[in-house]
Amino acid sequence: MKKVWLICFALMLFLVGCQTNETNQEVEAQDDASNKAEESSDEGGDEAPVEVVFWHAMGGALQDALDQIVDQYNQSQDEVFVKAEYQGTYDEALTKFNSIAGTDSAPTMMQVFEIGTKSMINSGGIEPIQTFVDQDGYDMNHLEENIINYYRVDDQFYSMPFNSSTPVMYFNKDAFEAAGLDPDSPPTTYQEVEEVSRQIVANNPDMKGFALQAYGWLYEQLLANQGALLMNNDNGRSETPTEVGFTEEEGKSVFAWVEQMMADETFANYGTNGDNMISGFFAEDVAMFIASSANVRQVVDEASFEVGVAFLPYPEEKERHGVVIGGASLWMMNGQPEEEQQAAWDFMKYLQTPEVQAEWHVGTGYFAINPAAYQEQVVLDAYEAMPQLKVTVDQLQSTTSSFATEGALMDMIPEARRITETALETVYNDGDIDQAYQTMVEQINGAIDQANRARGE
Amino acid sequence: MNQLAIPIKQLEANDLERITKKQKRIKMFKGFTFLAPSVLLFSLFLFYPLGRTIYLSLFLTNSSGMPTVFVGLENYQNIFSSPIFLKSLQSTFLFVLYTVPGAILVSLFLAIVANEKLKGIGFFRTMYASTMGISTAAASVFWLFLFHPTIGWLNQLLNAFGSAPIGWLTDPEWALISVAISTIWMNIGFTFLVLLGGLQSIDHYLYESADIDGAGYLYQLRRITLPMLSPTLFFVITVTFINAFQTFGQIDMLTRGGPQNETYLMVYSIYQEAFMNYQFGTASAQAIILFVLILVLTVIQFKLGERKVHYQ
Repeated sequence: MKKVWLICFALMLFLVGCQTNETNQEVEAQDDASNKAEESSDEGGDEAPVEVVFWHAMGGALQDALDQIVDQYNQSQDEVFVKAEYQGTYDEALTKFNSIAGTDSAPTMMQVFEIGTKSMINSGGIEPIQTFVDQDGYDMNHLEENIINYYRVDDQFYSMPFNSSTPVMYFNKDAFEAAGLDPDSPPTTYQEVEEVSRQIVANNPDMKGFALQAYGWLYEQLLANQGALLMNNDNGRSETPTEVGFTEEEGKSVFAWVEQMMADETFANYGTNGDNMISGFFAEDVAMFIASSANVRQVVDEASFEVGVAFLPYPEEKERHGVVIGGASLWMMNGQPEEEQQAAWDFMKYLQTPEVQAEWHVGTGYFAINPAAYQEQVVLDAYEAMPQLKVTVDQLQSTTSSFATEGALMDMIPEARRITETALETVYNDGDIDQAYQTMVEQINGAIDQANRARGE
Repeated sequence: MNQLAIPIKQLEANDLERITKKQKRIKMFKGFTFLAPSVLLFSLFLFYPLGRTIYLSLFLTNSSGMPTVFVGLENYQNIFSSPIFLKSLQSTFLFVLYTVPGAILVSLFLAIVANEKLKGIGFFRTMYASTMGISTAAASVFWLFLFHPTIGWLNQLLNAFGSAPIGWLTDPEWALISVAISTIWMNIGFTFLVLLGGLQSIDHYLYESADIDGAGYLYQLRRITLPMLSPTLFFVITVTFINAFQTFGQIDMLTRGGPQNETYLMVYSIYQEAFMNYQFGTASAQAIILFVLILVLTVIQFKLGERKVHYQ
């Protein structure tokens, strides 16, 4: 009987091993099938509207804003019908896509976060936007320069930028006034933030000065703002990175900053939870925090006090370099009927028009990808009513273009972020900053090695 | 006649052997036919994925989970030399240690109390069992509000008593305990209901005769209730034990494995490796380790625990 089990087990392993090759063949077969579908659909008439399946990761209020735009597009013409499907957070949506990339179940187009760029290119399931830009003679240069710099890889556009945001510092203007500070000149450097925090706490012991969510994206931004690279090989823009790109001094600066504020007892620790931090800000438990500009509208609307928005701080001894584009872009899938791809391309172009971008910018706080949108009346009116929205745009436009601010390209960045978050939390809980830094760098380098090996090149 | 009878007898003996063998084979075939549906389903949903996981654990994979480079046992070696995984193993054991006895003791107490025949006891029984009807996600959101560092009720309560607030989910010393508390709360509904069922099925003549013999309440509890309840208790312990090892939902909702990986339990670690880091090889190796771990511990539990169980 034991032998029988052993044989069964061996057989099972064998079958499991064979399965890999079969799947690849299946995918190819499906590709063939969809190519045929493509040919036949070309001949078909254009009676029914072409359906474009659009996967996105915009939840909550952002989803409402997006659905509204999609509805307007669907009503504006009768040749294309866009079906927007919410697929969970960026991470979840990307995971779903990875398991069906290159098959028939893939959507026509999809929204992917900026750090998924490399992983999408490697997936083999996408059609670079460049193809359509060339076919159509579309001019990408009328889009915001700093945004297209991120998405231009090896002089090619792989995806269409869509929603972009950067981190900004929110502060409680009323608390500034109460502490005898000028609410119109917020702190700009780490040292000034420390000083202002001390004054706020001295004035009101129930309020902490500053909060920094343990979020890898913010750490990356604080590095870029002082001109530091996240990955070597020019942030992975010239070659695949082999290790981290920042120096020890640059990497530790954020840790040391937080350590100082903790020693002053002016730092509020909300861990990795951004919602808790924002509700703490609303409850006037903390006077300043850093978060994505996509929250501007919500924070300003919901706070019971006056909210100021300022640029991201930097270390005094450095210069301000500016911020990296965060947010997401739209990807076209290959293996879809050409008709559908063209329809999706038309929708992407529609999204870039000044009117739509103006509405999107005002409705959410994301940037307008098309700078012409800033001249639209809707935007001008909104700036009148909510000048904070403009700060985020100014910060982006004053960014100096360099490899640091173009952002890193690497498929394991999501993992690096989680490693960074653990290191930040260690510091927040009185851990030794040298040790936290060493562990973080070792783990990130290990993850880079592993990712490079797994590609099997 | 006599001369003829002998070969016939020999023939019969041979035949008998053949017939019994044939019958055995038919029996075996019949047995397997009855087993076939479950064997088929098990192979499809359990054995095949298990085999696939073992296979994947020997490879590095690309982002869609296809194996790319064969590395043998390297994934396992890496796991056991990784401080994060060792930490995760430690947290998982601690978590099991907090939640299993915690949930069992609390719900045993509630079940014994709710087993009394009092007016309106149905209301309390419903209340105690009600957490069973709440999904992990909803319960986690509810606890997230309670645990909020500044506006959460728990910290406001502490504040009212003049003690310093606790960073329930942000302080590494507290996070695992906080998650354990919320998990115990979520588990109480199920364990309470099963234990109450067990208590109700104990024959009340046993208590009546004990009363006549003059046994006190605590003596009855120790000598009648607990021994008679032991099969149910054993079942509940085994189930909560395995569930505790496989905890995922509340971790994902409450702490996402933080702070400082204090609540990075094994299943969450597997999820992160596979679906966030796209290291399906490492994730599979961890899954196999978890499988072996639960298997071994459950076998030990059956060997040790079942001796003390009293079956009627």
